[in-house]
Amino acid sequence: MKLKTITIGHVRLISLYWSRYAVRSGSGLVYLMIALIFGLSMAHILIMPVEQLIARQKREMGNADPQFIKKTIIDIGRPVIQFVFGQKTLEEIGQESMARQRSFRDKDGGPEDAAAGPNKDADIDPWITFLLEKRPALLSAIFMLLIFGMPFAISFLGYNQVSGDIQSHGLRYLLLRTERSSIYFGRFLGTVIFSTAVMAIIVVTITFYLGMKTRIYPAGALTLWALHGFLALSILMVPYIAVCSLISASVDSPFLSLVLAKVVIAGVLLMGLLGSIYWKPAKYLLYALPWGWQSNLLHPEPARCLLAALGCLVYAGFFLFLGYYHFERRDL
Amino acid sequence: MSEEKRPGGLTALAVINFVFSGWGFISLLGLAVFFAFIGKIPTDQMQEPQKTQFEAFQDMGVYVFVMIFVLSLISSVLLLLSGIGYLKQKKFLGRTIGNIYAVIAIVGSVFSGMMFPSELGGGFNIGSIIGLIYPILTLILLNTTFRDDLTN
Repeated sequence: MKLKTITIGHVRLISLYWSRYAVRSGSGLVYLMIALIFGLSMAHILIMPVEQLIARQKREMGNADPQFIKKTIIDIGRPVIQFVFGQKTLEEIGQESMARQRSFRDKDGGPEDAAAGPNKDADIDPWITFLLEKRPALLSAIFMLLIFGMPFAISFLGYNQVSGDIQSHGLRYLLLRTERSSIYFGRFLGTVIFSTAVMAIIVVTITFYLGMKTRIYPAGALTLWALHGFLALSILMVPYIAVCSLISASVDSPFLSLVLAKVVIAGVLLMGLLGSIYWKPAKYLLYALPWGWQSNLLHPEPARCLLAALGCLVYAGFFLFLGYYHFERRDL
Repeated sequence: MSEEKRPGGLTALAVINFVFSGWGFISLLGLAVFFAFIGKIPTDQMQEPQKTQFEAFQDMGVYVFVMIFVLSLISSVLLLLSGIGYLKQKKFLGRTIGNIYAVIAIVGSVFSGMMFPSELGGGFNIGSIIGLIYPILTLILLNTTFRDDLTN
């Protein structure tokens, strides 16, 4: 190991170049498109019914009833959060949604009907109550979907940190000017910078839109919760990028690296969830990656949020070290 | 600049262009068929929201429909041509046509938002922002990141 030879100046230079080069190399461009379209589509799916409700109320009654709208948002957001927490399956959510739509049509959707749903089990989980009632519920539901979905997209950005240059032997020319450690950590850091910038674009767009267009929540509460969500999403991506770094350093082919990153990230989740149906302890597989505890980044208790953030950094450090250990010794 | 030195991002941009272009042509075909048979579709079995959407589509007017159809057709053709231009790294076919596509797509999105009734997703909503992502990215990338790659 030659970790002592790492040069901060080189790492800074390589990371800044790599974050700019990401779009030019194609991986950053594809990730940017997928992340933006996924993030904004999730927001669109959740915001659209609320906007339609506001428009309908304004058309029929002259103005919108904020209480009724907030209750409807809780009604929309609750199954989303329950799904991410693993409390309900997609099938159960679909059945509930159809039953709700039927009752909405039959009774013409009075405030009492919408209120009946959210309140009946709101006390069951204080965490869900916190997300839906103490914080801007729409933003909470969007963040939950992003926390669940973004790890699937990150491999499009992180898969080719070094594998392409290992395959073409291009790294040999770079190693005349700098060390392996600077290249490895510099590119990892560059990928993290790019991912954080994309998260910032998504969160700012959604928050700005919610603040300016729907005007349901006070600007202060919206901004603070958006900042929390942005930090949570940014930190969450770090261990997944580190997994990609490890795979990228171990494999000679960028395509194989992408496939393996996809298989590992999605496979751990699938094996943990499906395996636990047949054998309960299989659920601990989810802890091989942050899947098992990543929702804690939006926990009501600040201590648990910080612990989850620390967990992300510890996982990232572990995967990064493994990758570096292999990269330092391998033939380039 | 030779074709061997084409950056991966430019290839990715070309592939995305072809996908969106194909998608655009299929949508146009569907829209044309739908508009041709719009008078023959029975509405009595429809639920209220679908009926409202259907009536809004009927009330939209043929000129608005033709305008949107033409703009979408032009966008799809330009996407296809500029995709070929990116692959061959051509200055006119790639950069110029790509820029024209981006401007037309942005104008088309704004126009659709203004002309479409709210029942059909008109007005400014987060869907409009999604529709603007690719044209804006194209405009930025062609004039910054890939500016010096499209010189043939």
